[in-house]
Amino acid sequence: FLLLRMFILSDNIKLLGDLLREKPQEADGIDSVVVVDNVPQVGPERLEKLKNVIHKIFSKFGKITNEFYPTVDGPEGLTKGYIFLEYGAPTQALEAVKNADGYKLDKQHTFRVNVFTDFDKYMSISDEWETPEKQPFKDFGNMRHWMEDPDCRDQYSVIYESGERTAIFNNDAKDPIVSEERARWTETYVRWSPKGTYLATFHQRGIALWGGEKFKQIQRFSHQGVSLIDFSPCERYVVTFSPLMDTKEDPQAIIIWDILTGQKKRGFHCESSAHWPIFKWSHDGKFFARMTQDTLSIYETPSMGLLDKKSLKISGIKDFSWSPGDNIIAFWVPEDKDIPARVTLMQLPSRQEIRVRNLFNVVDCKLHWQRQGDYLCVKVDRTPKGTQGVVTNFEIFRMREKQVPVDVVEMKGDPESKTAFAWEPNGSKFAVLHGESPRINASFYHVKNNGKIELIKMFDKQQANSIFWSPQGQFMVLAGLRSMNGALAFVDTSDCTMMNMVEHYMASDVEWDPTGRYLVTSVSWWSHKVDNAYWLWTFQGRLLQKNNKDRFCQLLWRPRPATLLTQDSIKVIKKDLKKYSKIFEQKDRLSQSKASRELVDKRRSMMEDYRTYREAALQQHHEQKIARLQLRGGVDTDELDSNTDDWEEETIEFFINEEIIPLGE
Amino acid sequence: MSYSCALQKPILLQGHERSITQIKYNREGDLIFSVAKDTVANVWYSVNGERLGTYNGHTGALWCVDCDWDTKNVLTGSADNSCRLWDCETGKQLAMLNTSSAVRTCGFDFSGNIIMFSTDKQMGYQCFLNYFDLRDPQQIEDNQPYLTVPCAESKITSAVWGPLGEFVIAGHENGEINQFSAKSGEVLKKVKEHNKQINDIQTSVDLTMVITASKDCSSKLFDSTTLDHIKSFKTERPVNSAAISPIMDHVVMGGGQEAMEVTTTSTRIGKFEARFFHAAYEEEFGRVKGHFGPINCVAFHPDGKSYSSGGEDGYTRIHHFDPQYFDFELEA
Repeated sequence: FLLLRMFILSDNIKLLGDLLREKPQEADGIDSVVVVDNVPQVGPERLEKLKNVIHKIFSKFGKITNEFYPTVDGPEGLTKGYIFLEYGAPTQALEAVKNADGYKLDKQHTFRVNVFTDFDKYMSISDEWETPEKQPFKDFGNMRHWMEDPDCRDQYSVIYESGERTAIFNNDAKDPIVSEERARWTETYVRWSPKGTYLATFHQRGIALWGGEKFKQIQRFSHQGVSLIDFSPCERYVVTFSPLMDTKEDPQAIIIWDILTGQKKRGFHCESSAHWPIFKWSHDGKFFARMTQDTLSIYETPSMGLLDKKSLKISGIKDFSWSPGDNIIAFWVPEDKDIPARVTLMQLPSRQEIRVRNLFNVVDCKLHWQRQGDYLCVKVDRTPKGTQGVVTNFEIFRMREKQVPVDVVEMKGDPESKTAFAWEPNGSKFAVLHGESPRINASFYHVKNNGKIELIKMFDKQQANSIFWSPQGQFMVLAGLRSMNGALAFVDTSDCTMMNMVEHYMASDVEWDPTGRYLVTSVSWWSHKVDNAYWLWTFQGRLLQKNNKDRFCQLLWRPRPATLLTQDSIKVIKKDLKKYSKIFEQKDRLSQSKASRELVDKRRSMMEDYRTYREAALQQHHEQKIARLQLRGGVDTDELDSNTDDWEEETIEFFINEEIIPLGE
Repeated sequence: MSYSCALQKPILLQGHERSITQIKYNREGDLIFSVAKDTVANVWYSVNGERLGTYNGHTGALWCVDCDWDTKNVLTGSADNSCRLWDCETGKQLAMLNTSSAVRTCGFDFSGNIIMFSTDKQMGYQCFLNYFDLRDPQQIEDNQPYLTVPCAESKITSAVWGPLGEFVIAGHENGEINQFSAKSGEVLKKVKEHNKQINDIQTSVDLTMVITASKDCSSKLFDSTTLDHIKSFKTERPVNSAAISPIMDHVVMGGGQEAMEVTTTSTRIGKFEARFFHAAYEEEFGRVKGHFGPINCVAFHPDGKSYSSGGEDGYTRIHHFDPQYFDFELEA
């Protein structure tokens, strides 16, 4: 009754205002009322259904004690499109506003929910427009400054002193050059954004992004207890995870932020961070997706809403992965009764399945995309019918060919062994490590255009458990990290020759620079408490530097953004490479001789200083001679031969050797 | 580094069953004294490694040894809470000075008349630096040092006498170096250039300089009178001992790491190295392999033509330099 009366009066806005001002002192129900706008307009025959839907949605927040669906032109007309609901308590009304405002009922209807008393608030907004205060423009300078180094030195971050210090170095073949060094810059570790623009540091209260020439703080994201982050490939968004923040009503475990504005875009629940990142991004940042039990949820940016407003039900889905080159998702589901396991390639946003491949007797699958998305490799572990053991196959999907043909490579040999797999970036080769230590084999395959996959070479008895391709392709390192004591094999895959076999004892990590010219191997304090250092090698395996750092923890190269050159310009440069080489070599020679001269000069000046000091010290020593003689009863012991008359000469015979020489008859 | 110390075959002194803690040449260099954790103190002919004799008596690990300028007396300090004086030639124990805790460092002053030794901070006792005058037999008989200096803060881990017997230069657990007057016990000078324990201090043969070896992986050269910091030599492993060449601008350093960590680094046989640095350029120029464990003590022969190293493996190795060593020069 109260509602009705208020409704009638609310047609006259001014009167409503008066009414609210006169309202009774005790909150007799007004605060428990919500107004829901953008409700579908229906006729009386569908009213009951509408009420049920509304009830279902809104009774989640509390008991609805009263409702009112105003209609046009009397009770037989369509509903007006807004309704009033009364709850048992104001808190429930607030819950309704918090959770149902913005609720998308269908394509045309997104609810707007307000507490009734808000109308007063909004009506008292001044008619005068006040221009908002202008925020000063924060100029961070050239965010790509490091790319303009005249000697094309790449940067890398180093965390050492067990995390107390973080430094950024410019990589010079001679010696690293410090660019920036700070104490307690991060509390745990750091991450670079995918194009190298930002350095992210971790703190109890959230993460901070730094960049520009002086590594100023660009942005801050407040997420208490943050432990993991991920960037969208386009660097527009950053995703943070904290195990602390999640509540049932307010999903805060995972938050997606807009980097430029600093705005929180959306929060999500997260059961377990075991397989980070939980959200996988499409290569262009248009979509991100995650997998939960039997479900694949794909979201679009910038709205952060589910694509087509619903998740995909994929029963039994085990894993999925975006193509790094196109908006295609690959996922696989295991066998289900008499339906075989299968791998599916799905185009987004159309959700069209462009390829499905059935697999039989599958134990496990792993998806490996080639860097440009030209190929997908599905590593399939199967137990063939009638056998006990596990066999490994590689199913190679040729993404660039019509209807995506699939070729299979069978791995022969010991089926129980672990296998490592890696595609060549920018190329069509892949490397596989297989076998059980100490008989680990490294095989190289080439995916040819004629439909064949050729085994180019196999190296046996390798000390390797990891494959590291140069980011530019062709060159790669087989590494035996941690328990394999840091064995390194440098391979040129253009002819599969072993360029160099070296060792960095107890190396725990390997990092290629973004250009593929240099390789860093390191012994992290996090895995080994002594000999913490990082070593710099050329891509051919020639050792350039050994950098010891007290409690060295982590080195990360700063990624480079994609080149601005066109393929044609690159071809032209490659053609003229000899000309450029000459210029660079001359520059290198000059800089080396300069270094030698600098070193020689430095040594000269150090020797001068030392000589000066020694002269003064010996002068003082000379002046103390008398004191010395007194202390030793007049015996001069300043030189070893000062007292030769005191010496006794003694001849001692020592047995050295016995030789028996037979005399002739 | 462009010089690999190709030496003549080293002489191996095998007479200890546990790790060597200190080795010392006498002033003329014909004898080497070695002490170890096996309670044994040995003396050897340095020319051929033949053992001359043993000083028997200690019942605990030996930490330090010294010989007076005239090679008459020998001083040893031990974990059996005693500092003992011996007749060098006969091996007879001349005096036993009992202490409340382990004797960590000891030494004769320039004249050979005054001895100093420091005791560890242990079992409720703090670290003390004790001075005895050997010309006053009463002090020895009563075990009453004429001066005893308490070190309340950081215990002394290594010490040597200054050039004229006026003060003792002590290295501490916290990396500090102090000059303690032998007359009053007051601290005449102090510096803190290292930030971890000083494992060893040795003087140059003319006593004008001292070199420190520290757990902070570096070794430093100081003027013994002013304690001015002259040079630094950096490595990536803790340095256990360092010595200054009597005739070249070289220093030698030996080290390794904590015994517990030995198994986790490269266990390749004989890989523990003594390292040679150019004293003026602070650059490493050579290494000598051979020990099976960390090197605990290094010492140059007074004539500079050879050096010795004592290791965790219980061996002492005497190395004679080949002619190339003396000709070697870094470009300058």
